[in-house]
Amino acid sequence: MSALLEIRHVTRRFGGLVANSDVSFDVAPGEIVGLIGPNGAGKTTLFNALVGIYPPSEGEVIFNGQPIAGWKPHRIAKAGLTKTFQNVALFAESTVLDNVVTGGLVNRSLPEARALAARILDRVGLRAIADKRAGDLSFPERARVEVARALCTEPKLLLLDEVMAALTPIEMEEIITLVRGLRDEGMTFVVVEHHMKAVMKLCERLVVLNFGEKIADGTPEQITRNQKVLDAYLGAGFSTDAEAH
Amino acid sequence: MTRSHPLARLLLVATIAALAVVPLFLDPFGYALRILCLMLLFGALGQAWNIVGGLANQISLGHAAYFGIGAYSSTILFGSFGLTPILGAVVGAVLASIFALLLSIPTLRLKGHYFALATLAAGEMARIVANSWTSVTGGPVGISVPFRPEAGPWALQFETALPNYYLFFAAFLIVTLIFWRVKTSAFGYRLRAIKENEIAAEVVGVDTYRVKLQASVLSAALTAVLGTLYAQFQFFFDPDTIFGVATISVKMALIAILGGVGTIFGPWVGALVIIPLEELANSWLGNSLAGLSQFTYGVLLIVVILLNPRGLISLAETLRDRLSRRNGQ
Repeated sequence: MSALLEIRHVTRRFGGLVANSDVSFDVAPGEIVGLIGPNGAGKTTLFNALVGIYPPSEGEVIFNGQPIAGWKPHRIAKAGLTKTFQNVALFAESTVLDNVVTGGLVNRSLPEARALAARILDRVGLRAIADKRAGDLSFPERARVEVARALCTEPKLLLLDEVMAALTPIEMEEIITLVRGLRDEGMTFVVVEHHMKAVMKLCERLVVLNFGEKIADGTPEQITRNQKVLDAYLGAGFSTDAEAH
Repeated sequence: MTRSHPLARLLLVATIAALAVVPLFLDPFGYALRILCLMLLFGALGQAWNIVGGLANQISLGHAAYFGIGAYSSTILFGSFGLTPILGAVVGAVLASIFALLLSIPTLRLKGHYFALATLAAGEMARIVANSWTSVTGGPVGISVPFRPEAGPWALQFETALPNYYLFFAAFLIVTLIFWRVKTSAFGYRLRAIKENEIAAEVVGVDTYRVKLQASVLSAALTAVLGTLYAQFQFFFDPDTIFGVATISVKMALIAILGGVGTIFGPWVGALVIIPLEELANSWLGNSLAGLSQFTYGVLLIVVILLNPRGLISLAETLRDRLSRRNGQ
């Protein structure tokens, strides 16, 4: 099966700093890929390069057969690739519902987007707070709104950037069930997460970044036994039972 | 979505009814009616500004450019070629739209203060051009709208201020309706998304550049039409007033901001407060101390904005919330 996303030798520089260096990997349709690595490894930078916020300085990104490197983010979103924001970038003055509706407008009319948003709020468990101002929510609630807004764009591939940070184990379980359910319906995910237990449970494949370079790519079992990964990330006092923050 | 409170709806109907009836009891040649006319015109201008400044938070301080383009286009075409100002307004709207498009190339990527300063400079540029291009605009001495009542309603000129009043009233309602349509449509969602987080808006599919451009053009075209109406009402204007920073650009922004930026009734409240306030300040203080009237007006605005940056409308909302909470108990 041909890949949904092909990342080919992507390098991203900020002045003299190389945040991503020659990163290559594929994501097949229906996969849930975990992107892990220590802080500053370039995970969010890679997400930003993929969705067009900071396009790659070098390299190519093929999404669904089209070369998208250099496209504006809205065009990439329209093609079916979007992300959630690690630091939460909601429309704070708008209600939860309006935040989600805005995502739906990418390929739909307003009434359709409203209907879709209502269904997504139900599914993500936000219906009770649909009319609340997004800026008034707790952090875990806002992370869910991030997910709901991104889902409302009806992506083929969704990049989730630490949506499980600060969640309780029960809330984490809910997100895992949600993502797996959506995958079974045909969606594809790349997930950045520091909580290793959740990552191991959710992902069938892991890609490890360190200092902007890919150092490993394989199943969770392979990754946990990989010496390079243990040295760079997992072995550095990190336990799969520990909370990330 | 803001749900309309039954009391708010009643207040709206009462306000519109009052605006429709009150002028009938005023002296048709009088000062009070002229003030009401200006209130409606500036209310409409604040509302036109609100499309870009309020919904997308692109604080433009150069809208006088569009206003002046509208006023000069219709006046020159009417004076030189006898073209009805109704068509003149259309020409003005088209020219202002083109100016907005050209201005957007350098300014739309700017944010906050930088956008405000760039638009301010554009307005000033228009003023300087009008002052220097004497062969077309008449230069600093200004330009008069030829008085041709024999041309009938096509000339948009009236013996008394009463027909003018209803013309402005209609314009005010139409611009308000356009603003409301924009605000509640998909376009409005996109503009709000840009205001609240431009990068997130892009990532969830909003073509931020295009949406801002569309809003600028719409706002510019409406402002130009209002410029034509203003010219037909005043019969005379010069570059320094029509392209003025304080007289037009800042006033438009302040009317929307003071009333409640991005809200539909913000410009209504803003115009209701600012226009009479300015007239009072001028008539009480204008003769004794030149410049003091502007000063007073400025101080009052600073006080209101410091006390409540979300505008006067939000005071009413706070009050309403408090009342409904009390009723609920």
